[in-house]
Amino acid sequence: MSVHPTPSGWSEVSFEDRMALVDFRLSSRAHITVDGDACRGCTTKACVTACPANLFVPVSDGSIVFNYEQCFECGTCYLVCDESGAITWTYPDGGHGVVFHKS
Amino acid sequence: MSKPDRPQGAPAGTKRIPTPTEPDVDVIVVGAGPAGAAAALVLARAGRSVYLLERGPFPGSKNMYGGVIYGRILDTLIPRWWEEAPVQRWVTRRATMVMTPTQALTIDYRTAAWGEAPYNGATAFRPDFDAWLADHAVAAGATLVPSTTAVGLLRGDRGQIVGVQTDRPDGDLTARLVIACDGVNSFLAKEAGLYHHPEAEHFTLGAKEVLALPRDEIEKRFGLRGLEGADFEIIGCTPGIAGGGFIYTNLESVAVGVVLSLEDLKRSGKRPEELIAGLKAHPAVAPLVEGAELTEYSAHLIPEAGLHMMPELYGPGMLVAGDAGAFCLAAGIWLEGVNFAIGSGKVAGEVAVQALRAGDTSATFLGRYQDALTDTFALADHIKLQGAPALVMSDNVQRRYPELVCSLVESLFTVTNPTPKKGALRLAREAAKGSGVRLRDLARDGWAALRSYG
Amino acid sequence: MAEPAGPAGPTIAVALKWVDLRPDIDRVTGATHHDVRFFGCSAADQAALEHALRIGERFGWPVVAVSAGPAEADAVLRDALAVGASAAIRVDIEAGARSQHSAAALHDALATIDGLRLVCCGDWSLDRGSGSVPAFVAAHLGWGQALGLVGVDLDGDAGDGAFTVTRRLDQGRREVLRIDGPAVLSFEGGTAELRRAPLAAVLRTRDAAIVPLAGPPAPHHRLRVVHRGPDRPRARVLPPPDASLSPRERILALTGALVERTPPRTVVCEPDDAADLILDQLRAWGYLD
Repeated sequence: MSVHPTPSGWSEVSFEDRMALVDFRLSSRAHITVDGDACRGCTTKACVTACPANLFVPVSDGSIVFNYEQCFECGTCYLVCDESGAITWTYPDGGHGVVFHKS
Repeated sequence: MSKPDRPQGAPAGTKRIPTPTEPDVDVIVVGAGPAGAAAALVLARAGRSVYLLERGPFPGSKNMYGGVIYGRILDTLIPRWWEEAPVQRWVTRRATMVMTPTQALTIDYRTAAWGEAPYNGATAFRPDFDAWLADHAVAAGATLVPSTTAVGLLRGDRGQIVGVQTDRPDGDLTARLVIACDGVNSFLAKEAGLYHHPEAEHFTLGAKEVLALPRDEIEKRFGLRGLEGADFEIIGCTPGIAGGGFIYTNLESVAVGVVLSLEDLKRSGKRPEELIAGLKAHPAVAPLVEGAELTEYSAHLIPEAGLHMMPELYGPGMLVAGDAGAFCLAAGIWLEGVNFAIGSGKVAGEVAVQALRAGDTSATFLGRYQDALTDTFALADHIKLQGAPALVMSDNVQRRYPELVCSLVESLFTVTNPTPKKGALRLAREAAKGSGVRLRDLARDGWAALRSYG
Repeated sequence: MAEPAGPAGPTIAVALKWVDLRPDIDRVTGATHHDVRFFGCSAADQAALEHALRIGERFGWPVVAVSAGPAEADAVLRDALAVGASAAIRVDIEAGARSQHSAAALHDALATIDGLRLVCCGDWSLDRGSGSVPAFVAAHLGWGQALGLVGVDLDGDAGDGAFTVTRRLDQGRREVLRIDGPAVLSFEGGTAELRRAPLAAVLRTRDAAIVPLAGPPAPHHRLRVVHRGPDRPRARVLPPPDASLSPRERILALTGALVERTPPRTVVCEPDDAADLILDQLRAWGYLD
């Protein structure tokens, strides 16, 4: 975790609070799938840091657990994935997923 | 980018059906962003039946961007659009900032002319702007189908595209022509076999915070009045990662974001929100955003590589426009997307009208799309600026030149009494040496820039 | 599409409220801004609609969607038609009407439905959230009510149109009820996922005309609102304090009054120093030896 110089009067919000500001319409279907076996062979695990929504978490057995609920639907995860096909990413069902209000 | 009119190999997800003699609709436009809305608007005005599919609950709900909509392309589509478009502020102050971790050199331009009709650029919320543009398509007669995702293509007897499958029950829709405006990830263009370079190196990630501040405070901090707005584009603010940053003003919020090369982001192990925090903490930026309250955080991919990543823009029964066709100009001093989306969508709509009139939606006929695009900025700018994205993302432009100019300007304006002033030339040589820039490289990049931008 | 089909057999009504799913609340002033693009049906209303459709399919009863609200509320009725409601009725009242007014308006709509057998509602609306409308509707109809349901069991022998429902009581208890006649049911959100509307139905119903019924006059009471404070986030639910304590002690436990507490402080320092500070504080609190 890196530390930033923080100007006075500044209140950095926690990541949970940051994501809680965004409107996500939850779907029961996960639009992301991760092949944990493929991840075990991956040394970079770029999805863990690159995902702007921080959806991917490495676990002790070398694989990845993930959330799909708070996804910006950007597509970074599957593009940075080094193990071809470990992450499959599709759009959530119509009407579900992120809804931006002020972006 | 020529396109033989032959059956494609059917990628997974494509369904073969007998070519319908009476399709459900003339044209299916997939994606109701600015490209799709413009295409649907043109088609509906020509009296064609159009389904405008949108996977979000309303147009614009999935969209974010780096700040400015340049409206000139709208003049022909919606005369006097500025009187009705949902705009936050009119950009009258346009600055380019070059940064090192502790320094910043800003070229700051402002003009009253951009604050009056017909205006130059505007900031807006995409969920507002895109919905407004799609409303025009609907008013012209297009049928908006929201909350509906296109999940695959339908191909007819000879392999030509004859419709899409949607994620709704009994969701197949047939058409004479499909226009894929389905965004930067364009699964439809990929499925159609048109996208040959969807590699990470061609994309950047944009991540943005919208920070609420009182209106008068924004006007004070950015030196604005009324609906005047500011837009800062920044280079050198993403240490170790090729990219850039931006700050722009909405009516009652300031947006701050970074644009990050995916390849570098991956290697760096840094997180996008940390890089935004770093930009916000920069001494040149912190006073602008201090104390502002985060109201929305968002992220989106950007097709960065211009001409080099463009898919084939047409196939049998299909046209590709907007981000799906990489119509997004990321060339350093120019960062434009919405106008390119509208421009390409408009041409796609016009070519679709011609194709329907001719009763010919073969790839051969649709090849006109490429030619028509080349006659407008939408493709001509990309051809002209094809060298720009690589130059802008190069290590020299990203790191060495910002260090060079910042240290040169710092030494120029640092008063060293009683030591006499050194000459500007000598300072320039020292700065170049200090930042590891070889004059040969500088000359080469200068020449490349002249060729790219000239 | 606006006229109820009016079959003689039993009919299910589902009451849907057009509501702002995510109002923009200024966190300083409490001023609330609404935008119709973010309006729709709450998860509870969606669950009620899905349960109504499932019950209807089981017994062959049509489902009629009703809503009390302004013209924009037709949007939720069209969505209900697209997923399978056979008719839709809107009673024209202004948005934000009080619960009794809404219930009276809904009752006017329900009175037009022949063979009305069940009324399904969400357990409470997102905007006001008192959960009283289903009870008011039951009172208007003079029917029994089964409120706060979490499940419906349609599996048993049900030739007579009877079925069982489960509802949540306080402290995690469950109650199973048998419904074998007219009743008002309200459902918790998330207890059933609303089905997706078929594409053709979406296209067919997107412009469906819904002729509104004139709403009843707002009830006149000798009680009127003279001031309403700004919207505030819903209070957080705390676990109940130990029941063996005295009432005074329980109130103190809930409010945290009279409890010694160190005000939070913000420190800016190097990571090493921060770690030392955290350890010192944990020691001071007695977590470390």
